[in-house]
Formats: sequence, structure tokens, C-alpha cells
Amino acid sequence: MAKRGGFQKRSKASEEIPSSSLADIAFLLLIFFMVTTVFPNDKPRQINWVRAQAAEKISEKQKDILNIWMEKDGTVYINDQEWPMDEVHQVVAPLYASTNRALVISIRGDRDVPYHYMDALQKQLVAAGVVRVVFAAQLERQMQRERR
Amino acid sequence: MAVLDQKKTKVSDEIPTSSMADIAFLLLIFFLTTTVFPKDKGLAIVLPEEGVTAQVSQKNIMHIIVEPNCTVQIKRGEATNVQTLRAADVQGVWRQAAADNPNLIAAVKTDPDAPYKCMVDVLDALHLAKADKISLQMLEK
Repeated sequence: MAKRGGFQKRSKASEEIPSSSLADIAFLLLIFFMVTTVFPNDKPRQINWVRAQAAEKISEKQKDILNIWMEKDGTVYINDQEWPMDEVHQVVAPLYASTNRALVISIRGDRDVPYHYMDALQKQLVAAGVVRVVFAAQLERQMQRERR
Repeated sequence: MAVLDQKKTKVSDEIPTSSMADIAFLLLIFFLTTTVFPKDKGLAIVLPEEGVTAQVSQKNIMHIIVEPNCTVQIKRGEATNVQTLRAADVQGVWRQAAADNPNLIAAVKTDPDAPYKCMVDVLDALHLAKADKISLQMLEK
């Protein structure tokens, strides 16, 4: 009782937060979010791209771009799903409204698709009220065209 | 000399692992900042609004007719003569015509059976020639 040592005794536990495992925790978090993140992109379809020298980058954000794929036989795919031509405007119109009319349509057509399918698609887009459209193309250098 | 032989070396024989995480993070940040995602490229065009028709004088229109075999016929406004040429030649023709008439509108009329690439070639040539008033139509037979 005379020593009163109970109050002077140091605690064995360290006062510092252990920092040696901090990096491991950060890595675990990183890997967790990498694995669980899902990008809402549609899968690319097998088409023969058209080429253009004047192709410019689409400066819109990825979420404001809607890809409409058209294969050689004129079938239309939006968000990995096939749609009949006369229902395209019903699909595009709500998507267009949900982005406050900022949506840009990227038409990705096969180079050999007959033009009347493209014309029908454009009429559908006009019916949906869409204004900004991009004919997606691969950039072609001057040299490539001269060789062709 | 026997004493010297027994002296332990001061250098550790293990690879230091304490900075491994830092190196991994540095690599991660380096690749995060240097990665460039390929952006979509294409020819932009503005579609007309539904039900809006504009009356344009014939002399301000250049009719560009795209045939199924990718040749192009150019008919200027009221003139009746028709030029037949390749899609790539449209660029030069347009530059000359637009210099004479800044209000010129390109009316690209594509044959229903023409492949899409022919229309894109013409559109490409017009974009290269800095044409901004372009109308896309289907040729009525």
C-alpha cells in the first residue's frame, strides 16, 4: 500500500495506431473496388468499320454517348440487344430525355450495310427528337487512302 | 586473424520488404496517370428537328448523288449538266464552289442500295473541305 505503484504502472499497449498493415488494407480496398466495379458499356460487335480522314474525337463524356450498332444485314443493336427498326425511336426517346437532351448518338454501321437501312435509322432518330449524331469511323491517314 | 574470420557481416541477407508497398503504389499511380483510354472518333452531324422544313433557293444547293458503285454525280442547283467523279474528288469541287457561294448547302443523296461506306467517303470529303451545311437524304427513284 505504501508504494502506490498502481497509478505509475505503464500500460503495455502502444499508444500509436499500427501503421505497418496500412498499405495492406489500402491494397485490399483497392482490389475490392476494382473487382466490384462494373462499367455500363455495351460489348463491341463485330463490324467492318468505315474509315474517314476527318474523323474527330467525340468530346462528350462516355455516359452521354449511346452506341447504336448496325450489322451488315441491317439489324440494329442498342445496349447489347437487338431491336426492330420501327421500335428504335421508342428506345432512344426515354434515354434521350433522361440525359437532359445531352445524349450523342454514335452510329456504328458496317461499311457494307445498304444505305436505306441507315436512312431508316436516321428517320427513327429524328422521330425520337435526337439532334446530335456521330457516324463513328476509324481515323484514316492520308497515306492509307492513296494506297487504296 | 581467426578473430576477423568470425566477425559477422553487417549487411542483411534479406531483401528489404518495408518499402515494397510504397514501390507498388508508385507503380500503380504511374500507370493510372499514363493510361489513356481510346476515345471514339467519328463524323459529327446535326439532324434536323422533326417537322421542320427549310425552303432553300435552288441556286444555293449542290446535289451530290452517291451511286451504288461509289461514284458520285454532282449537279449544281439549276444547272442541268452532271459531273461524275470519285468520292475523294468532292473535296476539291466543294472548296471551289464554296469559295464562290458561301451559303452553299450540300445535299447528299445516297442510292438506297449504295453501301454505307460510300456515303461516309463523301461525308468525309465534305468534312475535310470544311463544309458545315450538310443534308443527308436517300435518293428517291
